[in-house]
Amino acid sequence: MSTTALSPATEPSARVLTLLRDALLPLLLVAEVIFFGLAAPDFLSASNLANVVINSADLALLAAGMTLVVLLAGIDVSVGPMLGVVAWVGATLFVSGLPPVLVVLASVLLGGLLGAINAGLIVGGRISPIIATLGTAAVFKTVLFVLWDSTDVFAGPVLPVLGPARAGGVPLVGLVVLVAFGIFAYVLRRRVFGRRLFAIGNDAEGARLLGVPVGRTSFAAYVLVGALVGLAALIYVGRVGVVQATAGQELTLPAIAAVVVGGTSILGGEGGVLRTLGGLVFIALLQNGVVLMGVPPLWNGVLVGLAVALAVAFDVVTRRTLDKRIGAQK
Amino acid sequence: MTTTAVARRSLRDRVSDRRVFLAVLVLALGAVMSLLSPYFLQVGNLLAMTQYGAVIGLLALGQALVILGGRGGIDLSVGSTLSLSGIVMGLLAQNLGLGPWLAALLAVAFGGLLGSVNGLLIARLGLPPLIVTLSTLFLYGALAQVLTGGGQLGGFDGQGFAALGQSAILGVPTQVLLVLAPMYALAIWAQNRTSFGRRLHQAGTSDRAAGLAGIDVTRLRLRLYVLSGALAALGAVVTNAWLLTARPSAGTGMELQAITIAVLGGIDIFGGRGHLSGVLLALAIVVVLSWGLQLAQVGNSVQTGILGLVLVGAALLNNLIGRRSSA
Repeated sequence: MSTTALSPATEPSARVLTLLRDALLPLLLVAEVIFFGLAAPDFLSASNLANVVINSADLALLAAGMTLVVLLAGIDVSVGPMLGVVAWVGATLFVSGLPPVLVVLASVLLGGLLGAINAGLIVGGRISPIIATLGTAAVFKTVLFVLWDSTDVFAGPVLPVLGPARAGGVPLVGLVVLVAFGIFAYVLRRRVFGRRLFAIGNDAEGARLLGVPVGRTSFAAYVLVGALVGLAALIYVGRVGVVQATAGQELTLPAIAAVVVGGTSILGGEGGVLRTLGGLVFIALLQNGVVLMGVPPLWNGVLVGLAVALAVAFDVVTRRTLDKRIGAQK
Repeated sequence: MTTTAVARRSLRDRVSDRRVFLAVLVLALGAVMSLLSPYFLQVGNLLAMTQYGAVIGLLALGQALVILGGRGGIDLSVGSTLSLSGIVMGLLAQNLGLGPWLAALLAVAFGGLLGSVNGLLIARLGLPPLIVTLSTLFLYGALAQVLTGGGQLGGFDGQGFAALGQSAILGVPTQVLLVLAPMYALAIWAQNRTSFGRRLHQAGTSDRAAGLAGIDVTRLRLRLYVLSGALAALGAVVTNAWLLTARPSAGTGMELQAITIAVLGGIDIFGGRGHLSGVLLALAIVVVLSWGLQLAQVGNSVQTGILGLVLVGAALLNNLIGRRSSA
């Protein structure tokens, strides 16, 4: 269906394309739920769905942060290894008896600090985001390896809301995620900082000429990613219960995948955290459903990789077609 | 045009050339290493070192070409392409019983095919290289795991195939003499002396200008990604000849090395500027550095971080130089 809609011969109206683009993810989600609901009987049980929430809460916060920098037409491939470093520090502080509130504060601050390193390289050093964060990702991996020093750190949830605790079957950590997404949705839509992110992502030079502080805003976005990673790291500790040498490294691609599948444009300037939430639900249900169907977890990478490639292809092709339409109307 | 430009270059230009800087760095690094370890300067050691560099040198060459092609060109999937091509070669040799040379040939073609997937999505559909190759990084890597169930493959020990990875001709490791050196010689020649090199730089500098000059930019970029895939697969062939086993994680993390070498070599991340001979020098630096760290018993996990620092440092350096020359 989508291929015929995309071919220039059929000349679909801009409205149809926009509608298709906005309705695609909800349709896919419904199809996914029906498919796995039929293929794996346990899929729709309340306890399984609660498990999905608990297992993807840390990823959700990473994806929220990633949305901010993707809106800027940037990227951060260091979030996974960064999470590993903060998780180790947070778990170690917690085990050593520091009060939970201080552990949370320290983790968020450390995350923000590591984010500021990326921000400094990208904004101050004018290195392209992919090169800068590829480099810091490698450094963070090594830092965790050195800190880990052949000793796994075992720790429980720092606070009940950062662990697998449930109240009446509802996972508390899901509420943390919803609050975080609510705040970012509000900031992106209604606050100056949010609007500036869109402006920069659309046209950084134009935004600068209009008086948007491009450097400061971009810097803040990368620091915010780090702060969210800091919080996510504690949720990771609460979920996994142990910090090992490669902790968190598997989370980078799914975080980017949630953003892209959600429909935030990788070219910047278009999207939002609520779309990312939709993308995240799609990815989380996909990974869960596949496991329930008894497919070996090795296939996860294949499916997530395919989902990203298809989502990006769809986004870029529709966006370009729409741009052409708008150009033709002018 | 090139010749007059070279003739006009002043002494100051020559000294500030990235390649002079890199050559000095190679010598300095070598001097430090030889002070730290008495084994370093022994001929046997120097040659074994180049053996290690053959595989990442091939990946870095493909990477540099893709970046030179411009428009945000980057190939994050080279490591996974190496893994998957190596596994496919293993399947052909072990399960289908093909001779290792034939399997190697098919594996290189397969690598080109994997590269063409990137190339089609990027050049024809116009998708961002970063996200396309990031998803194929995970896709190809996961496929390599799925195809073997996490195990490893063999069946390469026949028809003298092991000689490619384990022997030396006149003291030079065979894969360096017969694979790496010819590839770099060919690429450097093509960059400086052929119309391919000129088109590469024009496309990398300005899409529009290159298009107006009659260059088929789409086809050129598609070819660059195919080339990068094929070179990565060639790296897989060399790895298989060296270790005589194909592992699904053979290329994991190698994109970092490839990109680091390309950026350190002075290839401008925005395309169109940089010399492949600089990449060769940067390869020498990274190889000497890794080898020295190995001798100093610094583990692979720590080396990754050092490489990350080199990448960030090199990118900062490129910006400093770029800014000064444009100011």
